Amino acid sequence: MIDALAYVVIALAGAATIWGLVTAVANKPPGKAQLLFAAGVEVVTVAQSIIAAAKLAAGFRPVELATTIGYLIGIVILIPIAWFWANVERNRFSGIVLAVAALAVLAMTLRLLVLWTPAG
Amino acid sequence: MTRVPIEPMGSTVRKTDSGAGRVLVAVYGIFALAATARASVQLLTKFEQAPLAYLLSALAGVIYIVATITLARGTRASRRLALIAIIIELIGVVSVGTLSILYPEAFPRATVWSSYGIGYGFVPLVLPIVGLAWLWRTRPVNPQ
Repeated sequence: MIDALAYVVIALAGAATIWGLVTAVANKPPGKAQLLFAAGVEVVTVAQSIIAAAKLAAGFRPVELATTIGYLIGIVILIPIAWFWANVERNRFSGIVLAVAALAVLAMTLRLLVLWTPAG
Repeated sequence: MTRVPIEPMGSTVRKTDSGAGRVLVAVYGIFALAATARASVQLLTKFEQAPLAYLLSALAGVIYIVATITLARGTRASRRLALIAIIIELIGVVSVGTLSILYPEAFPRATVWSSYGIGYGFVPLVLPIVGLAWLWRTRPVNPQ
């Protein structure tokens, strides 16, 4: 984990959430730019999890190791699944599905910031 | 409105995984993941600390998984299973929520349903109500 990167993830995921809700209100399916943006959020999230995994491998031990690993895996699988689910049936609800996943990534990254504390 | 076309008269099953239902399945999926992962960690690493709370977490995880799959399938049989799962979920969140406030000592560690799911923005309390409403809205038009 790099704290600064976590804040980038939080900002991007927040933007993706709002974007998804905006297209839903406008009654449009997510456009190409929006889907690319979600992919971008995913790339940064994956980078974050890889960096965190490297730090864990190098010996860093957070207070709750198992929970932390669970969150690091969880944040990278949400957006790809939501992407697939949103594209099977494309309408306003696709945007909400992406928004829900992005919001979950945001919340989980906030939680990771707290979890990423060295064990006593 | 781009309402998903609902099959006209004579159709038996309206899809639970279409339109707004896709959002419902997505939220159920996230809770299936969250509750199951949380319960697995709790049961594997610190079961003795709060066996009741952790077993309830596991139960919640299983119920969310069943609800996610059955709502995503949306067949007549899976609707029935979804209904059962969501009713258990509603009973679970209301009873665990109430008990965890009345008898906090029985729940020394939090579950998804503690204090009506306060740790998850009360979504666990709202979700089964929305789920039941959705099953009602998509109920078969012409039951045989």
